[in-house]
Amino acid sequence: MKSSRQNISKGWITTAFTAVLAVFLTACGPGASNNESSNASASSDKNGSKKITICLIPKKKGLPYFTSCAAGAELAAADLGNVELIYDGPTDGSPEKQASMIEQYTLKGVDVIAVSPNDPDVVAPAMRKAREKGIKVISWDADAVQDARDYFVNQATAQAIAHGMVDTMVSDIGGPDVKAEVAIVTAYLTAANQNVWIQHMKTHIADTYPNLNLVAIKPSDEDQKLAFKVTQDLMKAYPDIKGFFGISSVSFPGAAEAVKQAGKSGEVMVTGLATPNSMKSYVKDGTVKSVVLWNTSELGYLTVMVGEALATGKLSSGATSFDAGKLGEKKIDGDHVLLGDILVFNQENIDQYDF
Amino acid sequence: MTDATSTHTTPPLKRALIYLLSHRAAGLFLFIVLLLGIVSVMNPAFLETQNIKDIAVQAAPVCIISCGLMLVLVSGEIDISVGSMMGLLAACMGAMVSESRGHLPPGMAIVLTLGIGVVIGLLNGWLVAYAGVPSIIVTLGMLTALRGVTEIVMGGSWITDLPDGIRFLGTGAFMGIPISLWTALTVILVSLWLVHRTAIGRRIYAIGSNPHAAYLAGLPIKPLKLFVFAWTGFLTGVATLVSVPQLSVVDSGIGVGLELLVVTCVVVGGTAVSGGLGNLSGVLCGVILMTMISTVLIFMKLGENATYWSRAIQGLFILGAIIADHWISRQRKS
Repeated sequence: MKSSRQNISKGWITTAFTAVLAVFLTACGPGASNNESSNASASSDKNGSKKITICLIPKKKGLPYFTSCAAGAELAAADLGNVELIYDGPTDGSPEKQASMIEQYTLKGVDVIAVSPNDPDVVAPAMRKAREKGIKVISWDADAVQDARDYFVNQATAQAIAHGMVDTMVSDIGGPDVKAEVAIVTAYLTAANQNVWIQHMKTHIADTYPNLNLVAIKPSDEDQKLAFKVTQDLMKAYPDIKGFFGISSVSFPGAAEAVKQAGKSGEVMVTGLATPNSMKSYVKDGTVKSVVLWNTSELGYLTVMVGEALATGKLSSGATSFDAGKLGEKKIDGDHVLLGDILVFNQENIDQYDF
Repeated sequence: MTDATSTHTTPPLKRALIYLLSHRAAGLFLFIVLLLGIVSVMNPAFLETQNIKDIAVQAAPVCIISCGLMLVLVSGEIDISVGSMMGLLAACMGAMVSESRGHLPPGMAIVLTLGIGVVIGLLNGWLVAYAGVPSIIVTLGMLTALRGVTEIVMGGSWITDLPDGIRFLGTGAFMGIPISLWTALTVILVSLWLVHRTAIGRRIYAIGSNPHAAYLAGLPIKPLKLFVFAWTGFLTGVATLVSVPQLSVVDSGIGVGLELLVVTCVVVGGTAVSGGLGNLSGVLCGVILMTMISTVLIFMKLGENATYWSRAIQGLFILGAIIADHWISRQRKS
């Protein structure tokens, strides 16, 4: 009989496949995917001159924004010559995975860990543990809890970014006296960077543009489709809305697409932060006039320079300026190393950038 | 007291409640009408054609995948890998059609995308049915693994040059109705036929409601389970094709959290997590309700806090549906 062959006891096969699956999962997990890290602890070469191992951890591996930062970091490592760079991060942007990666690299004994925290509080304990082991810990791109890191490499002050976006929006929709409704599409409601920017945007709007009315702040959960949907809904719920801020590299293109498909390009402006490649088509068709960002490659470059200087003792607390090689002299404000100003992409210059 | 008299003494309100909860489609339909009434009083713009169309377009991919997932649940299994599967299929589709990458003709990319969906579904189904690994473990593993493969396919950058031929699937319309809605309608009709008119459909219900009896009756349990997973994989491919090209950028985070939304819709729609029970009209109402909730909250203009509610409400609906199922089965027994 056919059914008699369907033996239900398959315990060993189950075990075997669960094991295979587990191996598969581990292989896809953080840390194990990086072969460069295997010799991370071999920190001296034959001549005895010390090789500095710097581990650069982004919020999420695979985002073009961070990939372009990493390209700059590679340049710095090549220019310095004594730096071995590891670029590794969670593929899903999970702060818990980020914390466990910091712990892994602490155990491997790297010299410097530079991290862009997804959630400062979640990764803080792991960062403190690394510091206790004598590893130099810096935050870059987004700040960490202050006592969990030595320095923060800051791309531009939160104030400069927030004011840049609001001023850009105001000039795009009709000048300083414009009376209009605007909305923000953010990343996660817990994203530290975005929340600080939002605070500065609110105060700047209240102080300088009292006729600008911020009607809603919606998260996109770093999901383009959700950014698209909330923008679509907000346009209908607030028919007089004149502008959207897409303040993450995922929410910006989603918001722009919604405005474009509603046939409101030029009538409703979208501005915000994103990498230039994903916004080129919208800048060309007029849905977006300006894209605000900073020089991502220089951010990665500066982070590696600071890491190396910390590990070799060239940079110690109390310094007020820092020689960043080809980037020139950079200002240090307390424990913030400042990269400089924001960069605005528009129809004239966006084609010069490719990332 | 006999059973008959106890039914008579049940108060009419309670009987109505039991009826609505056990005929989930009817109950949800009433709830949707009520919600529509409230929101349209607060903001009449909700009922404008464009808004209804937008909600329907958002619901279409969820509806397409739900039709497949319902059968998985009915067969007594679960698939929580569909979110990552959509992410991977979007990456593959994008990489194939992108002018700077594969540069394949759209028609070929469509066929290949559907094919990859079926293959992943078959892999899920084979691990569950033939290797005997519990489906929650297989698909939980796939949820992580497929996202990892997506990153490899994307290679650290996004796809920003989708050709018009593919974009048409997401933005185009036929006789004034978007392609995704025609597709969802077709999938619903095929699913109705599958469930009500074929032996396969009836057998899927049989193996879910009483696996032991189905086994003794000699039903081909393993091929049937393989089929429901492959079918869900195929439908995830279909949903990817009609929804992802709506956006101009393919990033590596497409479909994140979709598995939870789809499971919510199917369970709220009255499909039993334990298998054997579920109907398409209930699932359809579940999809409409869950996709309109966040839009309703925006139209009610409740301010920033509404964002937090949206997710809490999604969770409450799952709990509510499960408690309702539990309560009804107890009422039936007593």
